[in-house]
Amino acid sequence: MQAQTHRLRLFWRLLAGQRLVYACATLALVVASCFLYLVPLVPQIVIDGVFMAGEGEAAPSRLTAWAVERLGGETFLRQNLWLPALLILAFSAIAGAFTYLRGRWSARASESIIRRLRDQVYDQLQHLPCRYFDQAETGDLIQRATSDVETVRTFLTSHVVEIGRALIMFLVPLPLMLSIDWRMTLVSVLLMPVIVGFSVFFFLKVKSAFRQTDEAEAKLTTTVQENLAGIRVVRAFARQAFEEQKFGQANTTHRERDFRLYRILAWFWSSSDLICFLQRALVVCAGAWWVATGSLQVGAFFFFITAVGMFMWPLRQMGRILTDLGKAIVALDRIGEILGAARESAADQVAAPGPETLRGEIVFDRVSFAHAENSPVLREVSFRVPAGSSLAILGPSGSGKSTIINLLLRLYDHDAGEIRLDGHDLRELDRAFVRRQMSVVMQEPFLYSKTLRENLRLARPGANDEEIIEATTVAAVHDSIQRFAHRYDTLVGERGVTLSGGQRQRVAIARALVKAPAVLILDDALSAVDTDTEAAILAALAARAGHHTTILIAHRVSTVMHADQIIVLEQGRVTESGTHLALLERGGLYARLWQAQGEAAEDCERERLAGLAARAETAPP
Amino acid sequence: MSDVAFQEDEYHRQLDLALWRRVLRHARPYRRPLLGLSVAALVVATVEVFFPLATGWLIDEAVANGVSGRLYALAGFYFALCLLLSVCIFAFISFAGRVATGVAFDLREQAFTRLQQLSFAYFDVRPVGWLVTRVTADVSKISSLLPWFLLDLVWGGSLILGIAVAMLWINWPLALIVLAIMPPISLISVFFQRRMLGSSRLIRKTNSQMTAAFNEAITGVRTTKTLVREDEALREFQGLSSGMFQHCMRNALQSAAYLPMVMSLGSLGVGLVLWRGGVTLGSAEGSMTLGTLIAFMQFAAFLHMPVEELARRFTDLQSAQAAAERVQSLLDTEPAIADSPAVCARLAAHSADAPRDDVAIDGFSPRIERIAFRDVGFWYKPGEPVLQHFDLEVRMGQTIALVGATGGGKSTIVSLLARFYEPTEGRIEVDGVEYRERALEWWQSNFGIVLQSPVLFSGSVRENIRYGRLDATDEEVEAAARLVNAHGFISELSEGYDFDVGERGNRLSTGQRQLISLARAVIADPQVFILDEATSSVDTETERLIQDGVHRVLEGRLSFVIAHRLSTIRAADLILVIDAGRVVEQGTHAELMARRGRYHALYVGQFTRQREQAWLAGDATPSKAELR
Repeated sequence: MQAQTHRLRLFWRLLAGQRLVYACATLALVVASCFLYLVPLVPQIVIDGVFMAGEGEAAPSRLTAWAVERLGGETFLRQNLWLPALLILAFSAIAGAFTYLRGRWSARASESIIRRLRDQVYDQLQHLPCRYFDQAETGDLIQRATSDVETVRTFLTSHVVEIGRALIMFLVPLPLMLSIDWRMTLVSVLLMPVIVGFSVFFFLKVKSAFRQTDEAEAKLTTTVQENLAGIRVVRAFARQAFEEQKFGQANTTHRERDFRLYRILAWFWSSSDLICFLQRALVVCAGAWWVATGSLQVGAFFFFITAVGMFMWPLRQMGRILTDLGKAIVALDRIGEILGAARESAADQVAAPGPETLRGEIVFDRVSFAHAENSPVLREVSFRVPAGSSLAILGPSGSGKSTIINLLLRLYDHDAGEIRLDGHDLRELDRAFVRRQMSVVMQEPFLYSKTLRENLRLARPGANDEEIIEATTVAAVHDSIQRFAHRYDTLVGERGVTLSGGQRQRVAIARALVKAPAVLILDDALSAVDTDTEAAILAALAARAGHHTTILIAHRVSTVMHADQIIVLEQGRVTESGTHLALLERGGLYARLWQAQGEAAEDCERERLAGLAARAETAPP
Repeated sequence: MSDVAFQEDEYHRQLDLALWRRVLRHARPYRRPLLGLSVAALVVATVEVFFPLATGWLIDEAVANGVSGRLYALAGFYFALCLLLSVCIFAFISFAGRVATGVAFDLREQAFTRLQQLSFAYFDVRPVGWLVTRVTADVSKISSLLPWFLLDLVWGGSLILGIAVAMLWINWPLALIVLAIMPPISLISVFFQRRMLGSSRLIRKTNSQMTAAFNEAITGVRTTKTLVREDEALREFQGLSSGMFQHCMRNALQSAAYLPMVMSLGSLGVGLVLWRGGVTLGSAEGSMTLGTLIAFMQFAAFLHMPVEELARRFTDLQSAQAAAERVQSLLDTEPAIADSPAVCARLAAHSADAPRDDVAIDGFSPRIERIAFRDVGFWYKPGEPVLQHFDLEVRMGQTIALVGATGGGKSTIVSLLARFYEPTEGRIEVDGVEYRERALEWWQSNFGIVLQSPVLFSGSVRENIRYGRLDATDEEVEAAARLVNAHGFISELSEGYDFDVGERGNRLSTGQRQLISLARAVIADPQVFILDEATSSVDTETERLIQDGVHRVLEGRLSFVIAHRLSTIRAADLILVIDAGRVVEQGTHAELMARRGRYHALYVGQFTRQREQAWLAGDATPSKAELR
């Protein structure tokens, strides 16, 4: 019950700003259908009041008599039949105009709502905290943002309109019909409940057949998808025949299910058509009988035949639509779940900080963090990075290195301790402000499907070409970019060229540099770059020392050794910290790693000598 | 690499009749249901012509004679028409279903089979998703269009003809007046349908752009946050959603204007009948009765339906044209790598023989003793060689390690060997025979290949291992798993060998996938083994299992390894250092180390990295033996 009211409220809010437009559309629909029914009324009046005047026993109805009188009398009309013809055209045109308005207004209202809904979902997705995305699946979110919104759109633009049309088309002529002949009215609506009931019943009944066909189609798609994704494996084992057989099964099942659906629909359409035709046949035959017995006028008879045809077919569509309403409710719920989730930094947009740009001093004071209870990621981590200096973090994967970065960027909020940026408590700074001070390059950087130049300029839209080239030169990617056919205008991403992992990392480093931040963070950002290039980039970065505070995360001693300060992180704790030399003296893990390098070289040398010796032995004298 | 083949499709204004004639050929096996469909459509049209006529007769009879036997008969006739109509509707939907599902089945089967034959060069430039859509959505579009197009062609055509004939028969001057509304209705229909097609294409295009935007927003959410470009991204998205709004509005307005115009034209016809027909009604000419007048009014009101329907179907045809083109071109693409006519002839000659262990299906020896690359070169684009002047001669039992930087040409060598690509220069010989003279199927079935990122198929562990040899028993599957050290973790899975690995094996870890792909290769017992070692790190324990497994697999085969592990490299009989498409050094480990050149540098770097990795990963006592 509560869910229902919640849903209704959500739906009502959705209509905000467009309710009046919907009301106008409904009004236009009523007017249009009134005029639509006036169209067959004209021949009715002419037939009964002019053609049949004085013939037959039944007297023309009062409406007919009145209308004939207003139009200039029977004799006048008989000589000026163009007048009713013109009326028919005029009524039809007016109905058409209002139908157009109805279409225009309802489309305007629905499409505006959907546009707003899409924008809302997009905005919401960008402002949800990272924790939300840790738990959600990308595919599911996209599904909600696209096909669920589309379902709601179909509901608004087509279903609501169709239901309104069917109801109004049915209700509007009823008084008119009753005033003309109540017996014929009764006959005209006799099978309506059956028509609607049958279609609702039917679509409820065959829901599973639709679902089964959908499933078979999904299966077919996955089979092709898997085959093509693994086409190298298929060829490697020469399993084409096997795959064809597998696909053949899915294909056959799909054909059978699909054909069964056709069969079911054939039953439905033919039998519901039959009911509709029978309804019309009842009207035709009952009307003919009453005309024959003289209690019904021919014109009135004509009106009923036409009217039945006008309200019967829209009603028949109801079954399909009513059974589809459930889908719209589910879709709305699923969208509501996204929109209802708590946004990042809803409550803590505190304190506009003093200077526009910070110097970049970072202090971690006994900072702890856990993704879930009982599994701490960071435990009382403390360090201080003076502005303009560099810090390197070394540690095995899973030790919490990236978490430090995430906390610093306020992608997550720490549980205990304090993080200070230039002396400000991080939690009191606006998230956007904090992030503007920093540039981060991640191990698997994300580039937008834009041109390289646009990607590089994202962080600072005002950057000029020289600044961009300077950054790409430091990141050692300028030359690679020059080799692309479109250079800096090369489109990257799905619809453009695919960059290698190393190229992506280097472009991301350049992007970070263009921003000219107070703090530059490289989170294992050189892992896909070969050793020589890595050294070159690090040297170029070192030449810029003092420009910004640098935080460097890496797996290798050779990468981190030149940092002003190095900390070793193990299982969320800082186990060692100091300069390269200090750490070597300390004789801990860092020192061992350093030795391992030397030893490795030694070992290799030993192997080489052994190899030489062996060759000397086997070599012919 | 960036081919435009899969880019946004261009639309053609004109109907490509030649293309549709070829597409129509796929419906040839369904001539009978198509005939049934046409007959049913014809009957439906006829019945629909008779309905207004019967109504008119009923009225005339009732007015003239009151309740009569003829009135009963006419009523009976009317009910009979209803029954006949619904039977025919049932028939034509069934027939249409038969054709649609049949054509879809055939097209899919052909397309899938063709995809199994096409060479990798075809797949290199086409994303999987794009290809999947060809086999699924595009085929659906064509196959469901075909029967309905034909149906409406017959139904609409004969209905218009039937109405025209009936009216002309009864009262030709009035008939001509009614028929005069047809040309404007047709023009308006074609005009609006075309425009609606255009706007709905824009809607579809914007829709897919919007999906891409959502995808980007979600997968790039951290980047967007750290770049603080939420507002700008939202503005960009609003550009899309506003574009969508406009396209949808245009489409809605087009249909909001279209229907009333057509309906009004119908009403014009009704009015004209009432006027001109009414004038002659009282006159002595006699042919015009009240019933006829009413029948004519009904015809006039109804006439726009078949015209509209026909216009719509031709628009559908136009809108499905791109899909038809894509499917047809897939079916028309000849595989670039296939058996030559000479090989096919030999295959045919030997197909009648009983299978023998000492003769391969193409009549040569089934054993592989020596493989030689002779001055092999390869390029995708002329002037940009990927591999040049590559020479190599290897014997059964040897292990060849390929090392060097990414993109240097290592993968190209093994791809050429497996004939996934063919050399653009030089030749590859199997025991002295150019390998293009051998049967492709035979050649490829002798390979065991383990890819860098192992792809599994959804299904059980057992099914995945058995993929290597379809008739392997459960015991053999287990033995293979044991050999490569996969048995241990498999038996710890909840359902053991029946564990469902999930789509592309995503329920298993990378290391586990690697072990299973090793088992899959081993069970095939291939003569030639190709291993592209993964660079992605797995935990130490799994790494040890994999290394050990790899060594056992390499034994007794001719193996090519794109190697990263020191242990594999060292164990190789021959090491090739590849750079920029050329062999820069070659020899055994000892020889190359002694030379202190490229290999030495690579090896020392890799050695250091590997040891550091092991230490960092908390391997407290990484003995040297383990590192090897």
